[in-house]
Amino acid sequence: MSKYTLFSAQMKMADIVYHNYLLIPVLGRFGIKYGFRNKTVEEVCRQYNINTWFFLEIVNAYHNRDYFPTEKLRDFSFSDIIAYLVNTHRYFQKVKIPEIQVFIDELMNSAPEENSKNIKLLDDFFKKYVEEIDLHFSHEEDDVFPYIEQIGQAIDSGNVAEELIERIINEPIEEYERQHDNLEIKLNDLKNLIIKYLPPHDNVELVQKLLMELFRVEIDLNDHSRIEEKVLVPKVKSFEQSILKKSGVSN
Amino acid sequence: MAYQIKKITVVIAVSQVLTRLGIKTFLSVIGIEPEYKELAHLDELDSVIPAGAKSYLIIEQSLLVKPESEYLKNISRKYGKSKILIIGNRVIENCPCSHFVLNSDNRQEILEKFQDFFSERDDTSTVNGAEDILSDRETEVLKEVARGLANKEIADKLYISINTVITHRKNITEKLGVKTVSALTVYALMNKLITPEEAIK
Repeated sequence: MSKYTLFSAQMKMADIVYHNYLLIPVLGRFGIKYGFRNKTVEEVCRQYNINTWFFLEIVNAYHNRDYFPTEKLRDFSFSDIIAYLVNTHRYFQKVKIPEIQVFIDELMNSAPEENSKNIKLLDDFFKKYVEEIDLHFSHEEDDVFPYIEQIGQAIDSGNVAEELIERIINEPIEEYERQHDNLEIKLNDLKNLIIKYLPPHDNVELVQKLLMELFRVEIDLNDHSRIEEKVLVPKVKSFEQSILKKSGVSN
Repeated sequence: MAYQIKKITVVIAVSQVLTRLGIKTFLSVIGIEPEYKELAHLDELDSVIPAGAKSYLIIEQSLLVKPESEYLKNISRKYGKSKILIIGNRVIENCPCSHFVLNSDNRQEILEKFQDFFSERDDTSTVNGAEDILSDRETEVLKEVARGLANKEIADKLYISINTVITHRKNITEKLGVKTVSALTVYALMNKLITPEEAIK
């Protein structure tokens, strides 16, 4: 098995975790609990009412950066994927970010005054970063995701509202596609500031924990972006096109 | 942009010409090309050590006034920024310096000890890697970026073209490994290149 392994419905769920332990939080976001014995992916998904194809999309895209969903596998609803993405947002906001904040606070409190000032700078940097993340997430949840839901409903029902067509013309999904870059760059900067430039801190254990956490969050965030860009956006684009075609709007 | 090594001063306080020559040969083998100050005894130490600068003192043990450890403590207090290496028959107890080349050492051991003496990180100095990594011009540009100036403003202030500013910024980012203005500002503050009052809020 390599990074190109394709997880399949008949594979044992436990093997997915053995194969890539970084998928643990992903399973968590689906609400899957452990103790799955030798059940296959399909059996576990059925037990939890999860769309098996969708689950496989997500773990494959997470596991292999170059994975590109095939047409056959794009067979799941927008509400599945949006629910998953919103879960991921909550996981960052309620679990990861507070954890990292605790580490930073501890570092700040346990450093001599001179270095404490430096950590305060990192703390401000991180807080600003979190503000940006919150803004980005709420923009997606309040504006982008509802728009996608509307597209989905229009396709399902065949009824297309006038406003929706206008929005497709003026503000298609492409507009929002590349907003993740900045979030990733900032996180990378934070890691580098700690690794290279923060004067040595006596509590090495704590610095290690913080760094490990930042690396993991980075993997999670990149994955989150990839799912939006490779799975969600292409699907929305093709729906946008077919709505325009049906409505007789050429573009 | 070549990596600039600061010119260092090496003071050799050794009575025999032959030994002094040997030391210089060893240093050139390990790639050190300093400015040399040679003394045959320690009386003139004051006159050769540049005030406040960091220099490397290589001292023959037999020139030290007894008690040796007390005498060395005085020297290291006086020339706080300098590092001391002693050449002699034995390691001196309770001595403020930890570098000793012994007469019984073979070629390899001497080489390693000299390398160690010159390469060892100075843990007493404050964190200030900026001058080592960035050129003076890049440091200037970085300061202005951290103060919140736009490329055009930086170009006008430093009398260079916008393209030059952009090139400097690219090099700064490449060297430091941080891209965003806010992270560059954190770097500038950590290294005391600008004051907190000057930084972008």
